[in-house]
Parts: sequence; structure tokens; C-alpha cells
Amino acid sequence: MKNKFFEKYFVFTPYFWLVLFFFIPLAIIFKISISVSEWGMPPYQDIFLFDNGFKINTTFENYVYIFSDYYYIGSFINSLILALISTFFCLLIGFPLAFYIATSNIKLRNILLVLVVIPFWSSFLLRVYAWKIILQNNGIINVILINLGITSEPLQLLYNQYAVIMGIVYTYLPLMILPLYGYLNKFDLNLIEASKDLGLNRFKTFFKVILPLSIPGVIAGSLLVFIPVVGEFIIPEMLGGSDRLYYGKILWEEFFVNRNWPGASALAFTGIIILVLPIIIFQIIYSRWSEKNEI
Amino acid sequence: MDKNFLVIENISKSFGENKVLENINLNISKSEFFGLLGSSGSGKTTLLRILGGFEKPDTGRVILDGVDITNLEPFNRPLNYMFQSYALFPHLNVFNNLAFGIKENFTSKEIEIKVKDISELLSIENLLNRRIKQLSGGEQQRVALGRCLIKKPKLLLLDEPLAALDKKLRSKTQLELTALQKKLKITFVFVTHDQEEAMSLSDRMAIMKNGLILECSSPEEIYENPKSLYTAKFIGIANIIEIYKKDENYYSDDLDINFYLSKDLKKTKTNILLRPEKIKIQSINNSKIYPFNSFNGEIIEKSYLGSFTRYEIKINNKIISVLDQNFNSNSNYNFPIGERVLCSWEKESIKILED
Repeated sequence: MKNKFFEKYFVFTPYFWLVLFFFIPLAIIFKISISVSEWGMPPYQDIFLFDNGFKINTTFENYVYIFSDYYYIGSFINSLILALISTFFCLLIGFPLAFYIATSNIKLRNILLVLVVIPFWSSFLLRVYAWKIILQNNGIINVILINLGITSEPLQLLYNQYAVIMGIVYTYLPLMILPLYGYLNKFDLNLIEASKDLGLNRFKTFFKVILPLSIPGVIAGSLLVFIPVVGEFIIPEMLGGSDRLYYGKILWEEFFVNRNWPGASALAFTGIIILVLPIIIFQIIYSRWSEKNEI
Repeated sequence: MDKNFLVIENISKSFGENKVLENINLNISKSEFFGLLGSSGSGKTTLLRILGGFEKPDTGRVILDGVDITNLEPFNRPLNYMFQSYALFPHLNVFNNLAFGIKENFTSKEIEIKVKDISELLSIENLLNRRIKQLSGGEQQRVALGRCLIKKPKLLLLDEPLAALDKKLRSKTQLELTALQKKLKITFVFVTHDQEEAMSLSDRMAIMKNGLILECSSPEEIYENPKSLYTAKFIGIANIIEIYKKDENYYSDDLDINFYLSKDLKKTKTNILLRPEKIKIQSINNSKIYPFNSFNGEIIEKSYLGSFTRYEIKINNKIISVLDQNFNSNSNYNFPIGERVLCSWEKESIKILED
């Protein structure tokens, strides 16, 4: 009896996980986002009031507020652009690497895979901090450039959006390589030879055979990079300048500096909806399409 | 007929320390159906891949129709390669698989006509909208063949073309493939480890072992007059007997009988080949005893194969295989296990293996 129960509901474990750690927190965020803010702890009023009879105390002012100020929307757009560019570069660097790893012999393959994963063994903060040292005015890159006579003054490599993109690409590259490797590993190399045999050169073979057949890996890797980069806070904070505001930074400030919990929650909730909804719709369409096409 | 349509000249190839091909020389005629037969590790697939352009030889040249193609990329060679796994594109349907190699050089109308023609030739015209995974093994084989033939190659290379098919389909496809090749007059070079397949498909075939070509001839010649012990054993069933010169005749210690040969030996001691179907089998009571080229032995095993019966006959400690055609229509034509029989053969049936 107990076993049967277990068997029957075991499949719901991932859903249980999803409810506990995604939908419940999301609901709490939503609840705070429609609360009226006040000075105090917590810095918002309850949404159900019982003092003079039952009263629902909600407001959508927080949403109106964030949508009326370009400060918030602009930062979100900045983050989307940053995520898009970073994902593109991760893909540009990650695809050839993943392909090379997947097609090399088993001994070399294992070494390369370990090399991809090794950075995860050290602290993320430490690695980003190391970049700060490398890129600073008297850092190793500037010292080399000056000594070679390429530049007379140190270049400003740090505190701009290029440093941010570089830091993000560096940090998130393994998240692109690993799912891509997973797909390319199963790739039948005869297909590449068949394509060449039928008259397509390397370039055309890539676009007609290799890329279409690795779309699932490209999508998996891109999502793993894109979604967290939109909310990335630490890398822009450490390597970026003050010229560009990003979504993660605004969220942090609203929550912890301005203590505007309802406003920050509204911002967070909007962000999640804007990000997750299109991805869910896309996934449904894509899984139907790939089922039909049997990739 | 152009005898030097495909010339393979001094081809050698090593992978690291491992020598895979050593000084391969072959001339293949136009419209020939040529087989490369060998067990795994013989280098046959590497040779085919060198012809396809997927491997570069360390030394030597490949000349096709007068043009040196040794250093051409696969996509610049006027030939096609059919993979053992077929390597059909899973993201494309049958039509687009067939059209894959001609998409760039023809208009969509021309492509449609070409695909229609080739699919009718291979009777796959009703499969054009299918996905690859919806095809049976035999259908996949036809699509793979069609995808190559649509390009009208000068040379078609086939890697184990029938290995992925089940046995019944294989013999049917064998006949179809031969008919197709004779009809299209395209030069076919194929690789196989299956001697029956090699014999039934090839006009000529080469036996490969350890990166060398041991023998290259027609299937009949290789079966009837093999030059080496290895090919004799590799093709068909072989009774190998060691004989040596004794007085005026030749004698086998194993069988304890005398041999009478049609020609004299150069060496005093050699191996001879006696194919099992060349041995006549008779019951002992109604036959004479010959002084040469015969023995009597005991049947220790028998397998009835329909048109033939295969006997294993023991004489001294040696076992000789005999294939006897089931000639009579009554049911007592077979000899039972345990019976002693007289086996004899013509002196012309004895093949001397000189090396």
C-alpha cells in the first residue's frame, strides 16, 4: 500500500520542488508587490485588514510607478542587451570548443572537460576579483602593453561595459559548453563526412548539417547563460562603471538601500514574467515542433 | 573498356606506429564492380576512405579517369561514398536527403525531376515525404544509394553496403545492386568482410590482410586457384593437406595415402588444397580401391543442406570435409553417420599452394 503510494506520486517530486522553491516564493513576491508600503518592519502593510471589518488592502501603484519611470525599464533593457551580447559571445566561443571536445579522443576529451569544470572549484567572487587585478591600470595587461611600446599610458580596461561582458562570458562559458557538449557528443561524425562527400564545403556543412542538428544544445546552453545574466549583480558591480545601470543592481538598491520592498517586488515579479513567459511559450512550441520533426 | 579508370599507386598509410596499408597497387576498369574483401583490421576500410578523401595517404597517388585526386577534398571529388550506417540526415525528409548534394547546382524544378527519376529507379517514390526514422533498413539503404547516384558520380564507393540488412533482404538486395550497377555502368568499389557477398557482387575482387593485397582476381579464379594458404582458407571451405615427395610419388603422413598430381612440384614439401565439392563419395562395398587420390574413412558428422549434404569424414586423425550433391530423388541417398565410405578425386582437382 505504502509502496504503491510512493510509486504513484514519485513522479511529482520535481513538481513538488518547483512549487516549494519557485511558485511559493513567486506568490510571496507578488503579494508584497501589491502591498502598500510604509515605514516599519516589514516595510509594507498587510493586504488583508481585519480591524474595522474585513478589508482588502492592495494597490497597483508600485507597478504604475516602475512603468512610469524609465530608470527601471531602461535598466531592464540594458540587462537584456547585456545578456543577449554575452550569450552570443558564449555561443561563438563555446560552440567550437564543445565541438572540438566532443570529437577529440577519449583521453584528451576527459582532460579538456576537467579544464572546463575546474574554475567552478574556486570561488566565483575570487575569480571576478582576479580579473579586476588583471585589468587594472597597473595590471599585467597594461604593463605588457606599455613595455612593448604599444601604448604609452595605461588603457582604461576596467569599469566599462566591455569589462562586464568579458567577465560574464568568462564566468558563464562552462554553462554554455557543457550542454552543447552533451548534444555534440552524440553527433554522428559520418554525417559531416557524408555532407562533404555530397559536395558541401566545411562552411556549408556547418550551416546545413551541424548547426540544425545541434539546435537543442544551442537552446539549452543559451537559456542557461541568458536567464541568470539578466539578473546578474556582482559582475557589473565589480567590473562595470557607473555609466550603465543594470536590473540586478536596481533590484538590490530598491530592496536594501531604499527599503522599498513593494516596489522592488513589483520590479522582480515583472522581470520574471517578462523572462519566463516567452520561454515557456517557446519551449511548448519547440517541443511540439521537434516531436514532429523527430530531432 | 578503360582498364586504368581508377589507378591506386603505391598507397601506404600509418596511424601512429600502426601500419594500416603498405604499398597498395590496384587498377580498376571502368564500369567494373570491384570488391575489397578482408577481415577487420585488414585495412580495407582505410583504403576506401582514402579513395573517398576522408584520409590522406602517407605515400602514393590515386588517379581517377586520368586526374590525380590524391590531394582533393571530398567535396571536390567526382565520386560518392555510401556509408555503412548510411549517414542519412535525420533533420531532413527523404526528398531533401536525395536532393542534398544537387541543391546548389540546379533549379528547384530540375531538382524535382531528378529526385523523381532516381526515386522511381530505386522504387522509393512513395517515401519522399517520410522522415528518416520512419524508414526500414532496406528503405534507408535505397535512400543512401539514391542520394549518391543522383549526383551521377564517376565512381561509387560502398562501405559494407549490405551489412546492416537482415539475411533475407540481403540476398534480394544483392541481386538488385548488381542489376543496378550493370544498368548504370558506374564503377563500384565496395568493402566487405563477407566472402559470399564479395563473390556474388564482384567482377573482380582483392583479398586484403594486414594492409597488403594478397590476391586480386575474379571470384572464380580466387576460389578455384588460390595462390596462398590464407586465401584458400578464407574463401569457402578448404581441405588443406601437407604432402611431400616420396620415391616417384607424393605422400601425406596425415592421411597415409599417395597422391598423384597433374604436374611436378618445385619444392619437395608443400600444402595442397582440395575443395569439398571435388571429392566423390561412394559406399565401400560396390567400389574398387584406387592406389592414388582416394581414401576410406568414417563419417563422423553430417549436415543436410537441401541441395547438398556436408559430411565430415575422419581418416587417421584428420577430418576432411566433403560436399555431396543430393542427386537421387529417393530418400536413401544419404550416408548415415558411422558408415565407412570411399572418397576419391581427380588429379586436376588438386590445387598446389606454392607459398
